[in-house]
Amino acid sequence: MRYITIALAKGRLAEISIELFEKIGLDIAEMKTKTRKLIFVDETYKLKFVMVKASDVPTYVEYGAADIGIVGKDTLIEECRNLYEMINLKFGACKMVVAGPESMREKLKVMNDFRVATKYVRVAKDYFYHQKNKTIEIIKLNGSVELAPLVGLSEVIVDIVESGKTLKENGLVVLEEICDLSARFVVNRVSMKMEKERIMDIVTKLRDLQEQEGNA
Amino acid sequence: MLKWKNHTPDGVQDILSNDCIMKKGIEESVTQVFYRFGYLPVESPTLEYYDVFASQCGAVEQETMFKFFDHQGRILVLRPDLTTPIARMMGTKCDQLPLPARLCYVGNAFRNNPPNHGVRLKEITQAGIELIGQDTPEADAEIIAVAINALLAAGLKEFQIEIGQVAFFKGLMEQAGLEDALSEELRSHIDAKDALAVEELLKETTIEPALKQLIMDLPALFGGIEILDRVQPLTQNPSSISALAHLKAVYEILLDYGLEKYISVDLGMVQRLNYYTGMIFRGFTYGVGFPICTGGRYDGLIQVFGEQKAAMGAAIEINGLMSALKRQNQETVQWHSDSLISYGEQGRKTAFLIANELRLSGLVIEMTLSEMTEQQLIAYGEQRKIGGIITVTDAQNIALYNLQSGERVQTTLAKLLGEGVDA
Repeated sequence: MRYITIALAKGRLAEISIELFEKIGLDIAEMKTKTRKLIFVDETYKLKFVMVKASDVPTYVEYGAADIGIVGKDTLIEECRNLYEMINLKFGACKMVVAGPESMREKLKVMNDFRVATKYVRVAKDYFYHQKNKTIEIIKLNGSVELAPLVGLSEVIVDIVESGKTLKENGLVVLEEICDLSARFVVNRVSMKMEKERIMDIVTKLRDLQEQEGNA
Repeated sequence: MLKWKNHTPDGVQDILSNDCIMKKGIEESVTQVFYRFGYLPVESPTLEYYDVFASQCGAVEQETMFKFFDHQGRILVLRPDLTTPIARMMGTKCDQLPLPARLCYVGNAFRNNPPNHGVRLKEITQAGIELIGQDTPEADAEIIAVAINALLAAGLKEFQIEIGQVAFFKGLMEQAGLEDALSEELRSHIDAKDALAVEELLKETTIEPALKQLIMDLPALFGGIEILDRVQPLTQNPSSISALAHLKAVYEILLDYGLEKYISVDLGMVQRLNYYTGMIFRGFTYGVGFPICTGGRYDGLIQVFGEQKAAMGAAIEINGLMSALKRQNQETVQWHSDSLISYGEQGRKTAFLIANELRLSGLVIEMTLSEMTEQQLIAYGEQRKIGGIITVTDAQNIALYNLQSGERVQTTLAKLLGEGVDA
């Protein structure tokens, strides 16, 4: 039997995913130990788990280096890969928003050319160009995006918001909501067909689990 | 100024001898199958007018085409696919051709994919077939049968061909009477098998419950042929019903070909709807994350260039097939020469005579073009995995050294050619 490889986004998403897999009966004891290993193997079900950076999960899955991936919808939209998006796992829920100082709320509607700082270049471009019909300048940042409007690097930001605490502490507010986000279970298009039974078995178990927990 | 001179541009590559021999071999086996089914080769130019691919039916976005201008300012492109030029040929130049016409091709297509795009290569080799002037299940089944035979001939053993029908989906959309934007959004979610998003979208609509349920089930409607029987009683509109009947008919013909073990069904396969009009299919295998073979019916494409003609085609991605074969068969055959012939001026004529005879018998013979010592000869031969060394002093003094067994033999021209010794 071939190994089925599952790519997990390192961090909190991976921790929740591991709990889920444990609930559907996979052997993942090894992964709960503190270790720097990047690959874990479940010999009973012939599964391999690989830990990768969140934004790389769609890449691993699209190329077929991993058959399955668990990753946030934000990463999926930004990476725009050709995958099957089988389950909305619902955890890691948050929103993609345009945020900035309150004073920008009205200005945003009339300004045509302004700067947007973000980690999500594609999301921001798609939103402003195609949904808002505005030409904007995008400034790609890799972290602490909230800082940009405070120091005059940009007028607004596009980022994900969970509780809104970071925004609030930095004197920013949500100006517009772009979309809802949560973790997704994605599958390589070829693997889905070549290993249909085994992958659908995991999918069904996860869906059943969701239903049980939803009803509880 | 010259810092790029040692590199090839992103997305294009050199193919070195070992790979190139393998690639040519695959192309050869695949085209032999095409010929044997009666598909005759055509060639279209690498350059085309942009207009050829810019039609409504086009399958390629303009951003992904390499474009430039001719001296009159017209836009030229490097062909992004090979089917559209064949449709142009058929629409404009083949009015007199008796139908059905069976055509095949091997050529390179060019896609200016953005960096980090999943399909890394910008220049890919496609080998394909087109069957024009027939729209029967028999024609669709033949195309699939040829594609399967070609993959088998190339050495691929485990693969799946998945068939679908865009008319099934189109029929459901017509019946539901959804506006274009919504049905396009549905299509992309169904293509991504995102059942939840489909459900969300349909929640607001007033489609009748049975139809709504069927559309919601589309992402899960893939697998064995029994899916067709399951869906049939749930389908109400005539075009979806006939799409199902068509798939069933194609499958039954493939049963008679004895190829059913390679076939599965996916009714939720709904990509590129403007181009395909009927049955579509994709071929998958282990080791590559992308389809290695795609195809379908495109009855609307030829009429962009002339009279309407039914058409069905398939294309095999040679690069993808090659990496699948490499990953699946651990050891690839290392190409090597059978013999290395070393000679001095005195033995030259004899050496050429021997080389000629051996080449005629099918062996691969290399000549040493400069004087080499015995050690150099052996080192070179071992490095290149050559079968043996033939040292020709003159017609009477020929030394054979088998590099595999270490055996050494002294012989003459008469003996060597008389016996047909394998050195």
